[in-house]
Amino acid sequence: MEIKTFHGGVHPAEHKELSKESPLTPLLPKGELVYMTNQHIGKPASPVVKKGDHVLAGQLIAEAGGFVSANIVSSVSGTVKAVEPRKNASGGSAMAIVVENDGEYTLAEGVGVESDTANLSNQELLAKIQKAGIVGMGGAGFPTHVKLTVKAPEKIDYVIANGAECEPYITCDDQLMRTRSAEIVEGLEYMLRLFPNARGVVVIENNKPEAIAAMEKACQGHDRVYVQPVLTKYPQGGERSLITVITQKHLKLGMLPADAGCVVDNVGTVYAIYRAVKFNEPLMERGFTVSGDAVRNPGNFWVKIGTSHQELVDACGGFEQEPKKVLSGGPMMGFAMTGLEAPICKNNNALTCLTVDEVEIAESEMTACLRCGRCSRACPLGLSPQLMQVAAIRKDYDRYEHKLYGLDCIGCGCCTYGCPAKRPLMQLFKTTKAEIMAMKKR
Amino acid sequence: MDNLYNISSCPHVRSKLTTQVVMTDVLIALLPTAILGVLFHGFQAFLVIALSMASAVATEYLFNVVTKRKQTIYDRSAMVTGLLLALTLPAQVPLYLPVLGSVFAILVVKCLFGGLGHNIMNPALTGRSFLLISFGSMMTVYSVDGVSAATPLALLAQGQTIELLPILLGNASGVIGSSALALLLGGIYLLLRGGITWEIPTSMIATTWLFLVIFGGYGFDPAYILPQLLGGGLLMAAFFMATDPVSCPSTRDGQIVFGIFAGLLIGLFRVKGASADSTTYAILLADLFGPIIDDLIIPTPFGYRIPKERKKAIPKPVIILLVITLIAGLALSGVYVMTKDTIEENKAAANKAALMQVLPEAADFTTDATLQARLDDQGDSYNPSFGGAKIQSAAVGVDASGNVVGYAVTVFNSDSYDSGLTLVVGIRADGTVNSISFTELHETAGMGMKCDEPAFKDQFNNVKVDKFILNKAGGSTADNEIDSVSGASVTSGAVVNAVNAALDFVSGVMG
Repeated sequence: MEIKTFHGGVHPAEHKELSKESPLTPLLPKGELVYMTNQHIGKPASPVVKKGDHVLAGQLIAEAGGFVSANIVSSVSGTVKAVEPRKNASGGSAMAIVVENDGEYTLAEGVGVESDTANLSNQELLAKIQKAGIVGMGGAGFPTHVKLTVKAPEKIDYVIANGAECEPYITCDDQLMRTRSAEIVEGLEYMLRLFPNARGVVVIENNKPEAIAAMEKACQGHDRVYVQPVLTKYPQGGERSLITVITQKHLKLGMLPADAGCVVDNVGTVYAIYRAVKFNEPLMERGFTVSGDAVRNPGNFWVKIGTSHQELVDACGGFEQEPKKVLSGGPMMGFAMTGLEAPICKNNNALTCLTVDEVEIAESEMTACLRCGRCSRACPLGLSPQLMQVAAIRKDYDRYEHKLYGLDCIGCGCCTYGCPAKRPLMQLFKTTKAEIMAMKKR
Repeated sequence: MDNLYNISSCPHVRSKLTTQVVMTDVLIALLPTAILGVLFHGFQAFLVIALSMASAVATEYLFNVVTKRKQTIYDRSAMVTGLLLALTLPAQVPLYLPVLGSVFAILVVKCLFGGLGHNIMNPALTGRSFLLISFGSMMTVYSVDGVSAATPLALLAQGQTIELLPILLGNASGVIGSSALALLLGGIYLLLRGGITWEIPTSMIATTWLFLVIFGGYGFDPAYILPQLLGGGLLMAAFFMATDPVSCPSTRDGQIVFGIFAGLLIGLFRVKGASADSTTYAILLADLFGPIIDDLIIPTPFGYRIPKERKKAIPKPVIILLVITLIAGLALSGVYVMTKDTIEENKAAANKAALMQVLPEAADFTTDATLQARLDDQGDSYNPSFGGAKIQSAAVGVDASGNVVGYAVTVFNSDSYDSGLTLVVGIRADGTVNSISFTELHETAGMGMKCDEPAFKDQFNNVKVDKFILNKAGGSTADNEIDSVSGASVTSGAVVNAVNAALDFVSGVMG
């Protein structure tokens, strides 16, 4: 099949070989598990348990705070130890429910029981997904039932299952697609029920031939579902890049995927939908990669939501070398963590531990802008980061916003990655965007 | 446990590419050109390159030390500037020129404007133009293997046929870095490495080509077009000077417009201009428009472009550029056509005025069949005994009643210091030289240019001899001796030879 790609982008060293062949090993956590109430976009969930309550695995412990919010369940059985503010991976503090694991993993009633799916109405299907507390598992954490509730379902042409996994180091989606391909296709079929005119497409970068083969095999006999291999290039897994590759359409500021006739969900999310619809299983586990040159035995895990990052590092045999930087996520879009105590949330897919902080090196090497234009060539949106940089430094916000379309920047960091002068472009664009937005509010 | 690890905004990995690597790529790309330059121009060329690079780096180093700035020489951009400048100099220049040029390029053009990334014009080219203006005579003595000779483009301008191989290899007369083959090789290397993009070289060379085809006067004739495209520094400019990212526009569409603009200027300067250094000035002028182009031409992000199915085959920028090119081309040709007759009339009038100046007794000028025949019989020169003198035209001066009062002979002599001189000799019917007048003289100011002053050229007035003799020592007393302009014996000799050729030419038809 033809390998498609988009314009721009960069190709950082993949480092996927570190964990690529490691299967998704189930990890049973010890001690306490922490469930952040804000592990999704939208309103935080409100706790429905209190200290001392006994909870079962799959039992609702925090209720969605509105439509754009998500339920949270306990992933283990045990006792609620505390309902108190805790730090999450990005360093922010939020209300969390702490559950002491009793090591029994007793499931709540009805969870994991196979049910009849043939006669589900669309409303029932959506309700199941909503009840399961499924959010975008690729990183954003946007509640999936909201994404699937579009104004005109018949206008959706594609339901895209995102298996691109373009971030360096991360391999958990690769393993998921290799080992749960039939389940992903079935999950995709459930989603397609909501969109009568859509086709399901699994987008996979061509550095994952095993996953492509497995998914293609699983797609056989499913007319509405197919696999689209794409060129290995960052940010292929970005929503906009996927839509461009599949539909040749480009989104602009303020447009949603549905405006281009697309619904995009990570393959992990699709798998969670499968579990929720077929087995009434709420989202309590996910694939997770621990990698980086600091880790002794990098690998992929099937982890309970709420497990601390420290426990995963321990599961990998600890650190071979003391890391300089630990990242929640991959090196291109992940954020640096100060420590490892934070729990894994629904939208966290990896922990990358690096012995060398390349940003530190880059900062010491920064030279003046040569205006070489590599940033413009790398921008997947066709923006002109070089000109944006000049306007941002001059604080010429009018030009930045209206002439240069600076607010369209998706913050993929391609410009910053490729800059030979090592200029912190993306950081500048982020602060500029924040400043412009703040001025607009005033 | 907090603050255990480093915190920063993503992306946390960076490409291995640094400014240093970018600059090293340029140095590598220029290596073949430099090697061939030293090979064909000798050790002197090596000295020029070494001195230029060393003084460029030293200047930047000292500037940073004196102004207490962060030392920036390690980015190797000063080395690139030094090398580029050296490669655009003739090998025979006095060794202080590359030093002066580099100091000017780095100090004035680069450092004072804020250092790397802030210069408005290409430092190397500006350094070169600084030397051209200040030391014109030394900068235009081109040679190969130590023998000075006219450059291929100068010869081409005189209507001679040019061999392509020397231009390709770089052993034609010219600057150190003139091998078209090596420059192309370096350009391709840079293209492959992503150091430059195709937009500027392609649009610039294509525009120059188109301009020369339309206005060059030889159409598609490859004997004219190929030397024009391969020589005269066009390749150096297209791949290494115009593409200097600091001074060219940073966007793709902007670069195409920039290339077209530079190409138009090069074509215009080559066809209409008097200076042999069309390329240098064209790029510098275009550089000035770089920021304006960046200001006006901002690429539309993909999401804001018109969907493919509606615009079909030709993208909008291409149409706009084509229209701009067409309009510019039409405007230029329109101006040319409209002014062509006037130009011709002016030329005729100017021509007659020039003839009248040397033979005021004549009321009008006619042609003479015998003279015309002899004119056509000449080879590359009139007669080897008069050096490179060649009779261009000869007119017979007649008074109001039609009697012959003398002759006005226009002679070109390629032996002069710089690209040849043209003069008109007025000879009375009895063989006495009335006076001479220059129609073309591009010599060194204060030296060869002094030939156009009365002290020199009036020596010929009202003398009746068969042949003049150049007296290099000065203080002549005899009629047939001409005192050379001091320090310009080459030009003076060329003038004497040209006058002698004219005398010899008309001697046959005089009664």
